[in-house]
Amino acid sequence: MSDRDFTERDIHLALDGELPKDERPAYEAWLEANPERKARAARLADDVGLLRAAVAGVAEEPLPERLTAVVKERASEPPRAVWWRNAAAAAAVFVAGALAGYLAGGLPLGGEGEGERLADDAIAAYATYAADPAHAVEVAGGDRDYLQDWLSKRTGLRLVAPDLTAQGFELLGGRILPAGHKAAALLVYRNKAGEQVSIYMMAEGREKARGTYAAGETGPVAIWWLDQGFGCAIVSSLPEGRRDEVVGSAWRQIKEGLAG
Amino acid sequence: MDDRRRAILEEIPRLRRYARALLRDADRADDLVQDCLERALGHLDNWRTGESPRKWLFTIMHHLFVDQMRREKRRGEAAMLPLDGHEAMSVAADQTEDAASREVLQALQAISPERRAAILMVSVEGFSYAEASVILGVPAGTLMSRIARGRDDLRALLEDGARRRSIRVVDR
Repeated sequence: MSDRDFTERDIHLALDGELPKDERPAYEAWLEANPERKARAARLADDVGLLRAAVAGVAEEPLPERLTAVVKERASEPPRAVWWRNAAAAAAVFVAGALAGYLAGGLPLGGEGEGERLADDAIAAYATYAADPAHAVEVAGGDRDYLQDWLSKRTGLRLVAPDLTAQGFELLGGRILPAGHKAAALLVYRNKAGEQVSIYMMAEGREKARGTYAAGETGPVAIWWLDQGFGCAIVSSLPEGRRDEVVGSAWRQIKEGLAG
Repeated sequence: MDDRRRAILEEIPRLRRYARALLRDADRADDLVQDCLERALGHLDNWRTGESPRKWLFTIMHHLFVDQMRREKRRGEAAMLPLDGHEAMSVAADQTEDAASREVLQALQAISPERRAAILMVSVEGFSYAEASVILGVPAGTLMSRIARGRDDLRALLEDGARRRSIRVVDR
């Protein structure tokens, strides 16, 4: 065993505890006989020590609530999928949601469920409008500038209608929807295959948060963000990879628009 | 809370540590962890009985990380910056971070994502080569070469930094 030739590779194996125990003494002897190798092994070991020390504190930090909430919150909630049986049921939920907002006298949504409620409303809007090609929009997407001005004025936000042509989606247009005592903007996109994407935005939001909200195993998925005074949910039934592309591109453009 | 959720909760500190080292920026790192937890909770059925929750969660997070890197590369962006780009860019990560930690974490960011992940899996998270191979989805030989090259990269970057510092000292 001690006849074995050691190489640079063994330095890594030893460092990672992968060198068989019975080879260890021969390896140590090899290092002693090769000062350069020994110095290199020591430097690499130092680097590992540095790395470990650099992030050791992270594991000791108190856990952010937004992370523990993901694990805890859902434990106490019933599955959300049930109501997602047909568009009629979704529309009923949407009406109920709007009514609840009205009865609440326009109190800011707030609380833990703010993002989920936004996403819920966005999915209901998607089901009601985006899925009905004949009546999807009030203002067509042909005149983008006019559409953006109109939606911005009504919502009090600097809204842009993201260009998603690179992802194959054409802007059909937009509409204004009631959301509590405020107005929400809905943009509807469609690709050649007839798949829909909708973007739901309103001037509501208290603290920075984001999340994914699914309306059941097969229903559409909303990716939502909240920030001070702004809420956005992008809804689609696209497979995850393409969805992320659409969402990434749309969000970047929206963010740039808001920043002016 | 059931046992599975409790087991997932217990892994969050490690997931955060790994994500922080991978991405450097604390917000982006926690975004990755959040995505990972959401995915895990949505696919609890995929967690085979007897499988270590740690390996399962790290595998999920690695897939998300790879997807993210691929998207960023395709877009030709330095990073996908949610909400506040400027915040994420100016890595004011942590006031308590000392100079050596800052240096090594920054150097790590200059290493390819594949090598970075490999080094962190074994050096920091303490996975065996066999475990890390499974999590990263590469043969053991590939993993070893990523570790070796990654460490070479890191060493070169740190030496480069040290050299530049000594030149500055000499200049004065």
